[in-house]
Amino acid sequence: MPSTTLEPLPTPTASDLAEGTATLESIYGLSGVTKTYGSGATAVCALDSIDLTVSAGEFLAIVGASGSGKTTLLQLLGALDRPTTGRIELLGRDLTSLGERELTRLRRDTIGFVFQQFNLIPTLSAADNVEVAIATRHESSAQRAERVAELLGSVGLAHRAQHLPSQLSGGEQQRVAIARALANRPAVLLADEPTGNLDTASGSEILELLERLVAEGNQTIVLITHEPRIAEAAQRTISLKDGRILSDTQPGPG
Amino acid sequence: MFFFKYILSELRRRRGRTILTALGLAVGVALVVMVNGLSTGLDNAQATVLKPLTGIGTDMSVSRPLKVTTNGKGGFAALSKSQQEQLRSEVGPGGGVNFASLKAGSKVDTDTFRASGNLTFSATKLTSLSKISDVQAVAGSLTLTDTHISGTVPKIKITQSRTSGGRHGGGGGFGPASGALNGGSLTTASTSVTGVDQTQPTLAAVTPSQITKGSYFTSGGNAYEAIVSTGYANSANLSVGSKITLGGKTFDVIGISSAPLGGTASDIYVKLATLQKVSGYTGQIDTAEVEAASASDVTAVAATISKDFTGSSVTTASDLASRVSGSLTDAKSLSSKLGTALEIIALIAAVLIASLLTLASVAKRTREIGTLKAIGWSRWQVVRQICGEALGQGVAGGVIGVLLGVGGIAAIDALGWTLKATVASPAAAAGGGGGGFFGQAAAAITSGTTAVKINATASIELIAIAVGLAILGGLVSGAIGGLRAARLRPAAALRTVE
Ligand SMILES: Nc1ncnc2c1ncn2[C@@H]1O[C@H](COP(=O)(O)OP(=O)(O)O)[C@@H](O)[C@H]1O
Ligand SMILES: [Mg+2]
Repeated sequence: MPSTTLEPLPTPTASDLAEGTATLESIYGLSGVTKTYGSGATAVCALDSIDLTVSAGEFLAIVGASGSGKTTLLQLLGALDRPTTGRIELLGRDLTSLGERELTRLRRDTIGFVFQQFNLIPTLSAADNVEVAIATRHESSAQRAERVAELLGSVGLAHRAQHLPSQLSGGEQQRVAIARALANRPAVLLADEPTGNLDTASGSEILELLERLVAEGNQTIVLITHEPRIAEAAQRTISLKDGRILSDTQPGPG
Repeated sequence: MFFFKYILSELRRRRGRTILTALGLAVGVALVVMVNGLSTGLDNAQATVLKPLTGIGTDMSVSRPLKVTTNGKGGFAALSKSQQEQLRSEVGPGGGVNFASLKAGSKVDTDTFRASGNLTFSATKLTSLSKISDVQAVAGSLTLTDTHISGTVPKIKITQSRTSGGRHGGGGGFGPASGALNGGSLTTASTSVTGVDQTQPTLAAVTPSQITKGSYFTSGGNAYEAIVSTGYANSANLSVGSKITLGGKTFDVIGISSAPLGGTASDIYVKLATLQKVSGYTGQIDTAEVEAASASDVTAVAATISKDFTGSSVTTASDLASRVSGSLTDAKSLSSKLGTALEIIALIAAVLIASLLTLASVAKRTREIGTLKAIGWSRWQVVRQICGEALGQGVAGGVIGVLLGVGGIAAIDALGWTLKATVASPAAAAGGGGGGFFGQAAAAITSGTTAVKINATASIELIAIAVGLAILGGLVSGAIGGLRAARLRPAAALRTVE
């Protein structure tokens, strides 16, 4: 694995936090969150009264059997969907009270998303795939190009900037996706089985990258995983079963 | 700009889809270009046939035709008393030639001018016509038949009396006495002469565009200028620079005009004032060419003239068009009936195909679009992306379509497709034998069949409209696809597996 230097990423700015009541430590606050898909006889209760707090700089892993509600929870945390009942606070703002426009802004500015399938745009180069995330900012293209180069450099892919996703290995694609997710300096990085589609070596690379983000940049990360070694690497693991939190292993002091 | 970079990448890297959608639109556009180009070609062909019927700017012709019927009550007797009187005074016995006064053995060389088919009227009528509202311009013309008799009077006693009425149509009235003179050394020649208002060439019976050799009348200058028709020039062995004699005056032939189909085909055209002077028809005309202020006024103006001008007959350009028949007319009615329908169907089909392809593309890119939304693209930005791509395909489709359409038009022209146009004479259409009323046909409305080559044309306007339609088609499909994309939930980014 090529050694890469990682620039420290900033934590949420004071202005981000000023709007809400949250302290600098609190990223998420969930209370009584329920998500039901469908209605009537076919209704599926994917999440059942979840209470959860995530603090800044935390590296949280969500584990659980297939169908236990992990992805549903991540969607709610990522403001991609709304809970049926309950309250989700992100940086002190109640997501359930926000309109579609505000949620879109929030997704762009506060949340970074990493997907199991990488979800890169197949027709765009690695650099352009990173630029997608900052394309809507009012910055000059020179400023954006500089930022893109910086991000690709931080994930060790400066030399692959002009390659298409199809010309990159799975691990490289996922690193491009991570660079994209970090482009707006998000308060939280959400990842749904980021190593699920990778071989062990590539998976280790991604894990190391994530660990470095936490260690050097104090990046808050919430990820879903099936792999014990990744869950172990996280400071805290919550285990879901049938839409409920089965266990929550808080990091031990020290 | 990133927006353009992304659109171009999509169009370039998903080339198959781009080409397919563009081709769908292109076929529609090409059909519009071809059908329109062909219908323009047919219009032009019809205009080519009709143009010589009247001046270019003429919307209607006003004349006072002799009403002749063939039901046994035709001929001179069928005319009103005043018309009979006018005819007598204009034509006189013997078609204006006083044969009884000719002495045997004496030399003769006379020109006799007679009205041809239409009754003349005072040129002052033009003033009242021009005062009718929505009349843009009026010009008068006079067509006369010149009977030229020359030679030595034979020693035959010629008596000619005015025939009494009651004879049948075509042969009635004053029979020319030429039959009786054939035995002698006198020769008679009948030519038709039209006097035109050269100050209004677009309304004239011969227009500058008809000149094939030489030039058109000068507006001032020499009063004795003549333009001769190709047919007459050939038979009389005339060319530009030749001299002809009319009513004892020598005219310079300054131009040769192409033979019109179905129009008032005169052998010789001279300036109206000159003809009036030479023929003795001072201040008289037999046709007023009228231009209406706009095409929509033609019907109303024609109706007003018919009402105000007793005994007049108003022939409009559409009356003329109705006299044209043959494969040209069939093709024209087919193109106007089917052409528009074909264009609409082609366009709807093209837009439908483009829309379906765009919808399919959006469906296939559910995860991509979901991802864009998940990382913070707004609905508007997603719609703009999909629309931008569709617009790009629309532009490509427009360009390809125009190329296909223009190529198709070139192919049609290369085929050298000719259509036949038959022009019926108005007299025949009216069921009468008016053309032969005076026993002459020289200045009658010619009828006949001509072959017209179809020249399909694609104007810049048409091409612009076609490209515009393709872009519009792209936008419509983009809007449909974009709306679909806008409704996709961002959660799709995590769920859909391709
Ligand atoms: N859009 C949906 N409509 C209906 N049911 C759904 C939908 N998404 C998820 N579910 C159901 O909700 C439950 C939790 O799903 P999910 O959150 O994807 O679990 P996990 O990611 O842990 O496998 C499952 O039973 C699943 O079938
Ligand atoms: Mg899942």
